Amino acid sequence: MPQLNIVQAINDALKTEMRRDPTVLVMGEDVGVNGGVFRVTENLYKEFGPDRSIDTPLSEAGIVGTAIGMALNGLKPVAEIQFDGFLSPAFDQIISHAARIRWRSRGRFHVPLVIRAPYGGGIRGPELHSESPEAHYAHTPGLKVVIPSNPYDAKGLLIAAIRDPDPVIYLEPKRLYRAFRAEVPEEDYIVPIGKARVAREGSDVTVIAWGAMMPIALRAAEKMAARNVSVEVIDLRTIVPVDVETVIESVKKTGRVVIVHEAPKTCGFGAELAALVNDKTFEYLKAPIMRVTGPDTIIPQARLEDYYLPDVGRCLRGIERVLNY
Amino acid sequence: MPHMTLVQAINDALKTEMRRDPTVLVMGEDVGVNGGVFRATEGLYQEFGPDRAIDTPLAESGIIGTAIGMALNGLKPVAEIQFDGFLPPAFDQIVSHAARIRWRSRGRFHVPLVIRVPYGGGIRALEHHSEAPEAYYVHTPGLKVVIPSNPYDAKGLLIAAIRDPDPVIFFEPKRLYRAFRQEVPEGDYTVPIGKAHIVREGTDVTVISWGAMVRICLQALDQLEGVSVELVDVRTLAPLDIETVLKSVSKTGRAVIVQEAPRTCSVSSELTALITERLLLHLQAPVVRVTGYDTHIPYLTMEQYYLPDAGRVKKGIEKVLSF
Repeated sequence: MPQLNIVQAINDALKTEMRRDPTVLVMGEDVGVNGGVFRVTENLYKEFGPDRSIDTPLSEAGIVGTAIGMALNGLKPVAEIQFDGFLSPAFDQIISHAARIRWRSRGRFHVPLVIRAPYGGGIRGPELHSESPEAHYAHTPGLKVVIPSNPYDAKGLLIAAIRDPDPVIYLEPKRLYRAFRAEVPEEDYIVPIGKARVAREGSDVTVIAWGAMMPIALRAAEKMAARNVSVEVIDLRTIVPVDVETVIESVKKTGRVVIVHEAPKTCGFGAELAALVNDKTFEYLKAPIMRVTGPDTIIPQARLEDYYLPDVGRCLRGIERVLNY
Repeated sequence: MPHMTLVQAINDALKTEMRRDPTVLVMGEDVGVNGGVFRATEGLYQEFGPDRAIDTPLAESGIIGTAIGMALNGLKPVAEIQFDGFLPPAFDQIVSHAARIRWRSRGRFHVPLVIRVPYGGGIRALEHHSEAPEAYYVHTPGLKVVIPSNPYDAKGLLIAAIRDPDPVIFFEPKRLYRAFRQEVPEGDYTVPIGKAHIVREGTDVTVISWGAMVRICLQALDQLEGVSVELVDVRTLAPLDIETVLKSVSKTGRAVIVQEAPRTCSVSSELTALITERLLLHLQAPVVRVTGYDTHIPYLTMEQYYLPDAGRVKKGIEKVLSF
């Protein structure tokens, strides 16, 4: 089985679906001739030509607006927004239109659109290149939000997203793009949207993370294992719809929860998870839920991001805090 | 003391600040000659002229972008976005620029901008005219988010917002614009941003709400017998006066949060997370959320099935009591 990194796995997913289904196409800034700023769409232009690998102007609202029209008329566009911070210019198209057309038309129309965006910090980016805006889309009815943490899931979730009849915001943890390789099957397969994965089993504490926080959470779990603390790590994989059953099952066993995310804390998705856990497993909790998150400020540029992003040390302190309560 | 509706109190706040400070101006769609779709800016064009009551094109992104430039150059614009659902076209200007300029310039520049928006359901409107989008802005560092629930607070909070050195999103519960009158002092006064208000004291349950839902909560309280409910109007969602909330919940041990917005990843989530984080051992029941559903708010008469009403608030209170 080939060993692929996340970029290659996403490229493979796109190629697989574009070969299988002639209505699938990619579009975005430099995704065609150039092959994408991160090389995610490399060679799609050569294989599928300019009609299915479309270079667009630098206009995010235009990209998503055009893609909505395509999706309404029988195509399955996979639109790339080059960086997380450039989702904001397309916000109106996403929130006011893509997310609403099924509802607005009482189910007569739907928008099978995937919006791919490299997201999150860790690459020493300039401003608007390191954001984690998943909470904005999680709060918006009518959207699915998917965030893979490894090459296998990246391919399977992207194929599932393309086949989904409704708009999916697919956020790719850019710092993991080339961080490691994993076995990725050549054929097509899906990882279902809405299913979390228990990445490591444990019995003392549940750590919930997604995207680029997963390797950090797993390293923290390893370090705790050396201290005889058994940490269960859940990779959420899908933010909306959230797999609350997997979370509840774990919390019933451990009674202690740490949530790790990059985004600012206030009204981040960690807040919703904490609220859900409190709602469903209140009597099982042995300690308050700990959120290890970005602080409530804008993620700083370049090296200063080290002080912003949760790291193994901060995860360990979070775990210790719920253990010592 | 004059009795004013909420919309009159907002008009009075604008007039008061525009008289006091020549750098304050209003701008937006139909805010000038016409006086505003809800009459919030009525008479301002006549008193202050076209340079301080500026009619803009129908372009929300342009309104906010222009207002940011004005604010950076010594003016204090109060920009109106005509309806909550028209904030997304301006989202990029708000989130990527207004909210970031103090941070981006390491404090050399700041943006004393107020964005006023009629918000929420309850007026049987069409699409994009009944949204409650406060969570997007509460999650964005660099913004303050204020939502008054009555005329007195509306005037005092709006004056505080205009005097604030940083951008404030000021949501006006449109269904309350003319719902009732209240005594509103004539001169200038502020209601401080970041301070909740205990509307009613009680000992059994804390109900936390804001905007138009405060009145719905009061209706529910009036229908309940034999339960002592403390009602907290948070008034400001960012920064959140969590101390007042925690003080109340540590006394009652039970909390119900009532909001219009969809539930998932909302301000009710953050409040629940904060309360359970700090007060787990005080809680006698899980925090209950009474909210809009995770769907778009429907049009016209269907909205009554979406918006929390006194009955749903009562059920929430009963649920938290019977745990």
